[in-house]
Parts: sequence; structure tokens; C-alpha cells
Amino acid sequence: MNKRKVTLAVATAGVLTGAAGLSLLAMPAGAGQPPSLPDVSAESLVEQVMTAKPGAFGGTVEVDNKLGLPSIAEIPQLADGKHSARIWTDGNGKLRLALPNGQSEQTIVDDGKTTWSWNSQDNEVTKSEHKDSPKESNGEKAIDPATAAKEIVTKTKEFSDITVDGTARVANRAAYELVLSPKPTEKTLIREVRIAVDAELKMPLRVAVLTNGAAEPAGTVGFTQINVGPQDAKLFEFTPPANAKVTTPEAKEAQAREKLPEAGLEAALQGEDPQIFGTGWDSVIGARIPADAMTQVPAEAQGLVDRFTKKVSGSWGSGKLFTTKVATILIADDGRVVAGAVPEQVLFDTIGQVK
Amino acid sequence: MTTSTSAPVTAPAKQAVAARTRGLRKEYGSTVAVDRVDLELPEGAVLGMLGPNGSGKTTTIRMLLGLVRPTQGEIELLGRPLPDGAEQALPHVGALVEGPGFHPFLSGRENLIRCAAFEPLLEKRKIKQAVEDALERVGLAQAAHRRYRGYSLGMKQRLGLAAALLVPRKLVVLDEPTNGLDPAGTREIRRIIADLHDRGTTVLVSSHLLSEVEATCTHVAVLHRGTVVAQGELTELLQAGGSALQVVTPDVETALGALRQAKISARPLGEGLRVELAGTSAPQVIETLVKAGVGVHEATRWKTGLEELFARLTEAEEAERGMSAVDTLDGGPR
Amino acid sequence: MITRQFGSEVRWMLRRPRTIIGLFGLVLVPIIISFGIWTAGDGGGGPGLAAILQGNGMVVPIFTLFLSLNLLLPLVASIWAADGLAGEAQHGTLRGLLVAPVSRVRLLFVKLFGLTAMSLFAVTLMAVVGIIAGTAFLGTNGMMTLSGTTLSTGQGLLRIALFVVLVTFQMVSIGAVALAVSSTTEHPLVVQAATMTTIIVFQVLGQFQSLDWLHPFLITTGFPGLIDVMRDPIPLGQIWDSTLLAGCYLLIGTGLAAMRLITKDS
Ligand SMILES: Nc1ncnc2c1ncn2[C@@H]1O[C@H](COP(=O)(O)OP(=O)(O)OP(=O)(O)O)[C@@H](O)[C@H]1O
Ligand SMILES: [Mg+2]
Repeated sequence: MNKRKVTLAVATAGVLTGAAGLSLLAMPAGAGQPPSLPDVSAESLVEQVMTAKPGAFGGTVEVDNKLGLPSIAEIPQLADGKHSARIWTDGNGKLRLALPNGQSEQTIVDDGKTTWSWNSQDNEVTKSEHKDSPKESNGEKAIDPATAAKEIVTKTKEFSDITVDGTARVANRAAYELVLSPKPTEKTLIREVRIAVDAELKMPLRVAVLTNGAAEPAGTVGFTQINVGPQDAKLFEFTPPANAKVTTPEAKEAQAREKLPEAGLEAALQGEDPQIFGTGWDSVIGARIPADAMTQVPAEAQGLVDRFTKKVSGSWGSGKLFTTKVATILIADDGRVVAGAVPEQVLFDTIGQVK
Repeated sequence: MTTSTSAPVTAPAKQAVAARTRGLRKEYGSTVAVDRVDLELPEGAVLGMLGPNGSGKTTTIRMLLGLVRPTQGEIELLGRPLPDGAEQALPHVGALVEGPGFHPFLSGRENLIRCAAFEPLLEKRKIKQAVEDALERVGLAQAAHRRYRGYSLGMKQRLGLAAALLVPRKLVVLDEPTNGLDPAGTREIRRIIADLHDRGTTVLVSSHLLSEVEATCTHVAVLHRGTVVAQGELTELLQAGGSALQVVTPDVETALGALRQAKISARPLGEGLRVELAGTSAPQVIETLVKAGVGVHEATRWKTGLEELFARLTEAEEAERGMSAVDTLDGGPR
Repeated sequence: MITRQFGSEVRWMLRRPRTIIGLFGLVLVPIIISFGIWTAGDGGGGPGLAAILQGNGMVVPIFTLFLSLNLLLPLVASIWAADGLAGEAQHGTLRGLLVAPVSRVRLLFVKLFGLTAMSLFAVTLMAVVGIIAGTAFLGTNGMMTLSGTTLSTGQGLLRIALFVVLVTFQMVSIGAVALAVSSTTEHPLVVQAATMTTIIVFQVLGQFQSLDWLHPFLITTGFPGLIDVMRDPIPLGQIWDSTLLAGCYLLIGTGLAAMRLITKDS
């Protein structure tokens, strides 16, 4: 009788453990206790970030996108959801990026001389040799980074409040939470931008954008895992696979222009130099698409645009409005385009100024 | 002799009992399959378990083997309490319960080898020999290589028996072993049981075939509606079942009168009387009759057969209850 | 004693005609895939892993197992689990084992062992045939990963071995849950139907974005992440998560089966 009871108890415990394990796995990784760090002023933190020398590290970055972008089958990476990428750098310009996309992967390796881009989907390597552009520009802009940082802080403070709002644990590292919030006079969709800065390396570990009226960030980019220190040198080498096709970016681009609907739209938008209206958070970028470009927009692209925009009209004319949580784009039927991290009313008020 | 279901007051020494149950009860949902079963299986005995369909024979056997957990009651098997002692007791028990169970895609021999692999008492190197011996013993050696799928009912039954006899056992439990066997097979079972008995193995065999039980068993337990209505040694039971004298006489009235005076119970039957021999003897009855001037044409000793005993135990009660058939239906499988 | 029982169990499973037919079917998969990619030629390929199969035969075993994990391997695991307890009960052989006696917990472990051994065997067999067929049809030059790196043959074989172990573990976990179902019935088909329905329903549920709170609980959610074995260097995160998820299923399945077996009347 006893033995049976013991066995039964063990079996029950097994079931319960399994169930508990399932719920544990399902729970989002807890943020953990925020670390206690010495106080630091916002200004000096920003300065330290700007002046910090990037070191070698490898890690996984996760993009949590809740921007409210439509899920377009052609560009899955833009859809809401989580995407992760792995990144390695030796701190001296050598870089490796692995961007998984479902079962395929794009790998970008910069070995210091050449940038290799490999896509498993089409078994193709794009090889682009670095142009010989020695660091001459350094001489020109030889302002010391600390001064530059101070300048940026001053500029930013014109439109925003910069504060250090406690600490956080990101990818198991202690970090300060640096918060930029637009001044109340700014007519923007964005409530605040939180940047978690590694307490030791002074390197941003996570950036979150919060919008008005939402408790959850609209978008977060941050490390989920990071190991700081020298990385395996082999990671920064790339040998094209034996049977892969190797092309150059120029050839690739020419090909892409013909094919992709986005490319057509992009070309249309690049018609004229963009104009900036306003300052700070509520600045709006405007442009005019040449009339012929407007008609040249490929049908697929037109279809895409129609699918995800709302028809609007006002004293300024009529057009299509595309809204996300962090930005709004207004395309007038006559080719004027304005966009900004602002509510639609600001765009209606601004579009008249587009030349 | 024990015809009651109450626990025996003078329990025999523990060693002498191969299996014993106390107040066994099993419910399946609202159906009571077995209730208040106090069974005793003396060591070395061949106990025949009798009972009509659905009387609880198989259920009792299953509980004895630890296959089914009793709702109430205690079981002792080869000196060990069940179900905790099952692992110690069961290796010494061979069983064939509710028909043989084997894999159709394996041959008879392969099936036995698989059974043998799980016999704790069988050493690995002896498996082959044990399997061949068992096959030989049940007369399946010729068909051992054939798939079980193609076996006839009797061959299947024999293979089941072979599995029960793979290892020398202290107790062999056979649930309706003669099911589907031809007369020769039935005789062989009888022979095997006798053989086991000779070697001192205790045997529990349930059967519908009364003649079978009468021929092979030393002890009998009769189940009816889930309870034991009689159990004990076969000879004792039969004697106690009472013998009678059948007397053929033309002078029934006078004879009845004379016997009543002599305080001997009798009743008219056919062309004469049936006289109960309880508390008297045949010569005494005849003497009484002759003295009274009754012409006795013929007097036959009426010995109770198992069949009659069985009928009396299981049907008399039925008649008393009247609506019993409905009860039985209610208690059917769900 | 237990090794003898394990051995008997595996031998019994291997003697089953349906096991042989099943293994034969499984072995056909990598052959058909290799042949298909070969006939498709350079224009072939397809999404995901299929895109790098051409001229990269060592990936065939991984591709095959990755595909089969969605339906075929769970089906095979459910068949073995179904025959293990429900099938034995149906044939009346379970009684025989129990009075032998085999304790009920021991019986469960014998069954789990049989399931594990046979799953490992089946998956390894598929992998080996995959390597042979892949190399024969598609050729090979080490193993090219999804990240565009090329591994040496030895490293490639290690990756395949790792994938075999991971897939086997998923299969055994599904089988353990199927064993729990198997302990409640005498009808093997019920077990197979229940298991396969669950796997398919899980996969369908996995498609609904609106049910994303449910996804971490579904064992099928862990399947796609196993493909990380083909990335270089291997990111362990998803592989580890999938394995833990399957481990939870294994615990729950085994626990439920044990609870049922202990209290079961046979
Ligand atoms: N698994 C079960 N579920 C429900 N009822 C059952 C079960 N097993 C037995 N019973 C019921 O218990 C009673 C006794 O059944 P049992 O099989 O022990 O009879 P039996 O004496 O062996 O009959 P037979 O001579 O027909 O073999 C019957 O009424 C039967 O319906
Ligand atoms: Mg019966």
C-alpha cells in the first residue's frame, strides 16, 4: 500500500513539475532585480556614451516591433513581432551579423577589407570591397568627442528632458536607464525614448520607444544576450561557399531595381531633395514626387500603398494617410509627401508649405 | 464442511494455505462483482471454483493475481499480502486468466520466449530449454514455429497453459482451461492438473464443467452472485449434501405413515418415496418399512452428484428470490 | 533482469511487420528528397533549408528529419506507444506481463525504453540513409551551413549526430504523452488518432497570431527552432528551449502514464 502511494506521489510530482516547467518556459524572461549603481548625472552619462570606445563583443539582439505596421507578405521583417539577430564585432571595424529569417539566414561579414553578404535563400554572396577612403575625414572633424557630446546634449536639451531613471538589467548586465522625453510643447506621437546604457562599457544595450497612450513600448531593440571580450577571429572571415554565386553590389542593385516594387517607390521618393519643417521632435520631412514618377509607380507598389492607407482630404487637398504608432505619412494626390513622428493634424497643417 | 460465508473460526495453520482472501469485495461503478468472499486454498489442493456466468470467478482470480485492486478486503498469496507482496509471490504463480493472450504476429515459440524473458525465476540461459519443455508438455511442439494468428482455439488455449507452466510453480491458477479444447485436450488438461497435484503444486481451476471438477479436484468452492456459497473438500461436501434412498413401493401412504412415526423424513416421488438419510441409515429405513408391512420393490441409494449440489446451491436460492433474473441483468457488464 | 526485458521489448518491436514497413517508409523519405532535388537541378531548391541542398548532400539528413518531425515521426512514435500499452491490453498480453510479474512502474520504463531505442534507431537510420543518398545524388564538399560557412565532414557528422539526438528526444516526448493515452484504452487506433490530432491541432493553433499566449505551451512550437543546428556558430537559445519544452512533455506524459498504470485494473 505504502509503496504504491509513494510511486503515485512521485508520478504526480512529475506531472506537476512538467506543468510548472511549461508555465515557466511560457513566462517572459523576468527582468530581475534592478541593480544598484552609483548615481550619475544624465549629462555625464550621455557624454560617457559618446566618448566610450567600442570594444569587442558578441551577442544576440532582439527587435520587438509593435509599431503597428501592416504585415506585408513581401517584407516580413517589418511585421509586428520579435526578430532577432546575432552580432559579433572585434571593436576595430570587423563585424559579423547573422540575420535569421525563418529557416533561412542572411550573414553579413565585414573582414576589414571586404563586406560579404550571404543569403542562404538564393545561395548568393554579394562581395563589396571597401573603397580606399582612408580616415582623412578624421583630420577635418577633429573636434574631441567630449565636446561633440556636450554639443549634442545641449541641442537635445532644447527639445527634451534628459534624465537617468533608475537602473535595469539587460542581457544580464547592469545598466542605467537614460530617458529622453520630448518637452510638453512638442507635438509628437512619442512619449519617451528609454536607452539602457551599460554601466561598465557605457554602451547602449537597449532602446525602447514609448508612444503616447501606450504603456508598452512601441518598439524595442536590445541585447538578449551579450558576451563582452575578444571574439573568435574566424568569425570575421568569410569564404564564399563552393557553389555559391558571387556578385557585386552594383550588379545586384541594377537587378533589384527592375524587380522590387519597393525600389520603384523609393526611386519616386528620391525625386527631389527633402525639405524639413519645424524643429525638434515634431519636425516634419516633406518632398514632392515628380508627376511623371507618380505615374510610374508600379502597379504592385500602388496596390500595396492602397491596401494600407486611409483616404483623407482637407483644405490642403486630398491624399492618402499612412499611420503607425510612431510615425505618420501623408501622400497628397498631387505628389506632395510629408512624414514625421507627429499626429496627422500636424501633417495637414504642414503640407501646404511643401514646395 | 463450510457452507456459510462467515469466516472460519478454526483457521488452519498459516503454512498450509497457498492463498486466502478475507471479505473480498469489488465494485465496478455501481456493479458489485464480488462481495464478502472468504476463500481458502489449502496448500497442495486442487480447488475447483464453480459458479454460473457472471458469478465472480474471474474477478476473484484477478484479484488473487494482483491484476485488479479489491475495493475492500485482504488477500494473502503464498504467505504474502497483496498487492504489496505481489513481486515476491507472483514469480511462483503461473496463471491463465480469461483466455490466452499472445501476439498474433509471433510464432508460438517466440511468444513463449517473450513471456519467459519477463519471468524473474528463469535464468537467461535456461529460457530456451524451458520454452521447449513447456511446448512439449502441452503438445504444441509440432506447431511451435507457426504464427499464433493461425492457431486454433484449442492450440491457443494450450499455449496459454504452456506460458503458465514455464517455470516450476507453487501455485497454478487456471481460469476455464478447457475452454475450446477437444475431448483429448480436456483429458490432457486433466492429466496435467493431476501431474501438478502429484508434484505438490497447488492448483486453482475455475470451470463450468462439473464433471471436470469432480474428476480432478480435491476441493471445491461454489460462487454465486459474487459470494462463496459453499467451499470445502469435495468428498465432504458431497456427503454433507445428504444422500437419500429412493424406494419403489405401491403402498406409498402406509410407508409415509410408518416413516413419520419413526421420525424419518420422506416425501412421495414418482412410483414411490424419497427418504432422506439424515440421522438414519438405509437398513434402518428398510427395516421400518418391512416391519410396517410395506412391500418394497426396489431401494436405491441416491448419491448427490456435484451437479445436483451445484444446482441446489445456485438455483434453490434463485427460486426463493423470484425476481433474481432481473437482478442478474442489472449486474451485467457495463 | 531489466536489460533482458529491454532486449525482449526491442526485439518484439522489431519483429512487428508494421515496424518494418514503417522503417522502410521512413528510409524512403531522404531518398525521395535527394532524388527530387537532384532532378530539379540548379533551378530547384525552395524555401529555407531546401535552398542550400544543391551540391550539399550532407544537409539532406537534417532536412529530412526536420521535415519528418512535423508529422511522420510523431506518427511513428504514436504507433509504438499505442502498441506498447493499448495494443498489449487488446491482445491480453498485458495481463501476462503483470502476473509474470513485471511491476507497473517497471513496465512503463520498459515501454519508454523500447520507444526511445526504436526512435533513436529510426532517426539514425533516416540520417544514415540521408547521408548516403544525399552524397550520392547531390554530391558533397563538407557541409555548408545556413550561415554560408562550410564545415568539415567530421564537423558535419557531429552536427547530424546532434540533430539526431534532438529529434529523437522530441519524438520520445511525444511518445511519452501517447503512452499516457495508451494506458487508458485498449484500442491502439484511439491512441494514434488522439496523438496525431493533437499534433495537427497544435500546428494549426501555432499559425494563429492571436493565440500567441498559447504558443509557448505547444510542443510543436519548438520544432522550427531546431533548425538552428544548421547555423554557424550554433545559437543554443532556441534549441535549448525546444528541448526543455519537450522535456516538460516527457515528464507530464510519463507521470500521467505511471499514475494511470498504478491505479489501473487489468
Ligand atoms: N471490468 C468490468 N467492468 C464492469 N463489470 C465487470 C467487469 N468485470 C466483471 N464485471 C462484472 O462482475 C461480475 C462478475 O464477473 P466475472 O467475470 O468475475 O464472472 P465469471 O464468474 O468469471 O463469469 P464467467 O463464467 O462468464 O466467466 C459480472 O456481473 C460482470 O459483469
Ligand atoms: Mg470468467
